[in-house]
Amino acid sequence: MLPLLLACVTPDPPREPPPTLEPAGPVLKRLTAAQYGNSLRDLLGDTLVVPDDLEPDAASDGLLVVGGTVNSLSSLGVEQYETAAFDVAAQALGDETLRARLIPCSTEDDACASAVLEALGRRAWRRPLTDAELGRITDVARNASVVLGDWDRGLEYGVASILQSPHFLYRVELGEDDPELPGEHRYTSTDMATRLSYFLWNSTPDDELLAAGEAGELVTDAGIDAQVDRLLADPRARAGVRDFFDQMLMLYELEDLSKDPAVYVHTSSTVGSSAREETLALAEWLAFDEDGDYRDFYTSTTTFIDSKLATIYAVPAPSLAGFAETVLPADGGRRGFLGHVSFLALQAHPTSTSPTRRGQFIREVLFCTSLAAPPADVDTSIPEPSASYPTMRARLQEHMSNPECSGCHMLTDPIGLGFENFDGLGGWRVTENDNPINASGDLDGAPFTNAWGLAGAVHDNPNLGPCLTRTMYQYATGHAVDDRERDLISWHADGFASHDFRIQWLIRDITASSGFRRVGAVE
Amino acid sequence: MKRVDLSVKPRPTKHSQPGVREQHGGYSRRTMLKGLLRGSAVAVALPWLEIFAGRRARACDDGFPLRFGLYFWGNGNVPEYWVPGTEGYDWELSELLTPLADVKPWVSVISGMSVKLPNTEPHTSGAAGLLSGMSLDTINGEYTFAGPTIDQIIADQIGGETIFPSIQTGATDCTGQSWNGPSSRNYPETNPYTLYERLFGATFRAPGEEGLVDPSLGLRQSILDSVMEDILALQSRVGASDRARLEQHLDGIRELETRLARLQEDPPSLAACVQPPALTADFADQEGRPQISARSRAMCDMIAMSFACDQTRVVGHYLTDPVGDVLFPGATAGHHSLTHDEADPQSEVRAITTECMAELAYLLSALANIPEGDATLLDHCVIMATSEISQGRTHSLDDMPLLLCGGGCGAFKTNYHYRSYTQENVSTAMLSVIRGMGIPAASFGADDGLTTDSLSDIEA
Repeated sequence: MLPLLLACVTPDPPREPPPTLEPAGPVLKRLTAAQYGNSLRDLLGDTLVVPDDLEPDAASDGLLVVGGTVNSLSSLGVEQYETAAFDVAAQALGDETLRARLIPCSTEDDACASAVLEALGRRAWRRPLTDAELGRITDVARNASVVLGDWDRGLEYGVASILQSPHFLYRVELGEDDPELPGEHRYTSTDMATRLSYFLWNSTPDDELLAAGEAGELVTDAGIDAQVDRLLADPRARAGVRDFFDQMLMLYELEDLSKDPAVYVHTSSTVGSSAREETLALAEWLAFDEDGDYRDFYTSTTTFIDSKLATIYAVPAPSLAGFAETVLPADGGRRGFLGHVSFLALQAHPTSTSPTRRGQFIREVLFCTSLAAPPADVDTSIPEPSASYPTMRARLQEHMSNPECSGCHMLTDPIGLGFENFDGLGGWRVTENDNPINASGDLDGAPFTNAWGLAGAVHDNPNLGPCLTRTMYQYATGHAVDDRERDLISWHADGFASHDFRIQWLIRDITASSGFRRVGAVE
Repeated sequence: MKRVDLSVKPRPTKHSQPGVREQHGGYSRRTMLKGLLRGSAVAVALPWLEIFAGRRARACDDGFPLRFGLYFWGNGNVPEYWVPGTEGYDWELSELLTPLADVKPWVSVISGMSVKLPNTEPHTSGAAGLLSGMSLDTINGEYTFAGPTIDQIIADQIGGETIFPSIQTGATDCTGQSWNGPSSRNYPETNPYTLYERLFGATFRAPGEEGLVDPSLGLRQSILDSVMEDILALQSRVGASDRARLEQHLDGIRELETRLARLQEDPPSLAACVQPPALTADFADQEGRPQISARSRAMCDMIAMSFACDQTRVVGHYLTDPVGDVLFPGATAGHHSLTHDEADPQSEVRAITTECMAELAYLLSALANIPEGDATLLDHCVIMATSEISQGRTHSLDDMPLLLCGGGCGAFKTNYHYRSYTQENVSTAMLSVIRGMGIPAASFGADDGLTTDSLSDIEA
């Protein structure tokens, strides 16, 4: 940045130079189902109906994007990609609006087909096609149009061909020798276009970003900064932040939420989807509308609910259909993400709460602490509710006192019991089996008397910011981080803390990171 | 089982080595047919004996191929209500096995066997140890099987002759337990409608059905050729782990290519093969609970017909996942929660396990209701039913629940209870199954799960 410009803004606090990094080698990243869908809609049109019968994403190190660098595609997955490619191609040629967008020329000949496939190929593969590649795809289309006697049908095969290629299904970012640092490697400028757009938009680069990549602009600080500014100002950046929180908090699991309606009368087949939307809306609002402090995610009384959630929260429903911003009452006991149905219902059982799961989630997902699995060959039962064990706290006592269990359960259960005023769906309650609920406890030395206080203790916990930094770094780079990156991640975490934990600041900081821009040799 | 006239031509017998490939000279069945008829376009339905004679998988004495099914449910059982009190051919149904009464002649119980590998992760260690014979592995903090599961070991050997080398189905939203190796999982199809479309949808042709070959099949192949070129070129530029992942992707492409080629051939002429009626049921959850039974039965009907049409010879059917907390009908909590929290004698857990056996009985009956030659489809099947642990509450890997069902073409004792009193390695039973399928495997498993001996007590 120019010194002249620096004078115009509040100067950043002095920052140590980043630690040097020995970067990991490149890995292929298979698109997640969300990236696949977003990319196709950006390529072909918003009205495209993206098939959802795809190989399920599986998390690795907590993130689906990392799973996309580790897991192999099954034979069924290959077949599903083929079916989806033809489904999408048929829509792209069969729908009048989508067809007009795809085909700029009016003559139905080889030249037009080739031009269409060249343009789509460049966008879909996120780089220009070689002559040989384009030749093969146009051959497929020409052959199909002859056999089927239909130019459009032929083009469908060309489009389906582009969409089944590994160059579309995987992000191929292999890097190059760094001309300025002999012996070292960096991501190429076109690689960086792809890395920036999937990190910030969770989708494929647009024409301008691709052009900047192809022009070699994305190997410089200024070139990257300019595009990051533009990308963050685009509505697609909101979708990007939503996807990050969706993956980190595993909110996608809410689509399969199962609660017994005999126990939880306010449950329904769509309550999981509503709960997911509430949390994503809060994250989006905090990051963009507020440009806010990540820690407030845990203490915000502002939230976004529909009538289903309003019923569970026992607050007035929004006057319009759908979701609306609302402020939860200050004396209601509920605030922040940890008061959302998304957290409370997902980290629970179909007919009961689970203080262990709730506590474990905070340790593992919010604080990045790994816990050992329970011993496999022991009786893990807890007493059924009875006069002797009227509450969950009483029932869990065995796990917290038996030395074989207490090592881990003391890390999870005392925190999780802080949420016992919320039932297994997230509704408020003050008694359990007619016994008053004791929701007090302490989080790493910070005492709390209930979930409201616990939310504050989580907000203030020193692990919160560094853990988000680690998770976002991993989300951005798309690989499982290793020890070689620990110092660099700590450095980013320190910067995050000294910039009021602003989510957008962290996103920008990571786009400038050597961890995001440099790569090792192919291993 | 009545034997048929063997005079048509020699074919593999029970004691041949079907794991060794028979030579076809690279000709497809369609080509061979045309050659026989000197290129004439006359459509001739070959007798079923000849259809199977050229194929390389194990054939039963009556010429039909032997099929393998894995039937899996999560969270184990309650052993004291599972293990029959009597042994040998005089065994009697235990409480949890009562739903199998009608198909008992085709059921053998193997009890008292153990997974010998370390039980480090509840449920998952057991699933990996039982089905792959190997310890669970960890990559990036996520568990993965370290080697292929028994269904894929079998499919690798006998799956090459059919449209689908194997299929996986899930009656609930589950991930299944089929692995090719580390980080390479075969997810089940969990939507009955999608399963119907794959097996019996637009590309299905009933035996003897006349009609032109769909030209789009060849065009689809040309795309796969192009994709394969892309993958091969990419493989030379990436690291070792990505090369291996791309190889899995290539395997999928090759499988699809083979399928497209097969779909251009005439379907096998099999008397029992008919296109099932389209599905009409709504399989959505009811009262917040999945319709496990209706979904499973719809899938099992399709599995039976896909065997009868020889679309596949290997199936994995997953009722629920390990640790699955599914709300079964009538249960007061999820299955997994109940296994841990319900007090003895765990009447709800027992009711759920009984329901799992009722759905197994449905599958076996569906297979038994399809005649094949002078026998039934069930006579030509090995259906192995099991779960990842024995007792749910303790995650014990001793006294694993294991049933071998179906006639197995005479490879196994049927209607028999074998009880081990020495906690034998359950891998020996897996090796028996693999060898019974006609695969001359030298061993199964690794480390403490390794065995080179099969369980001869259950073999006929």
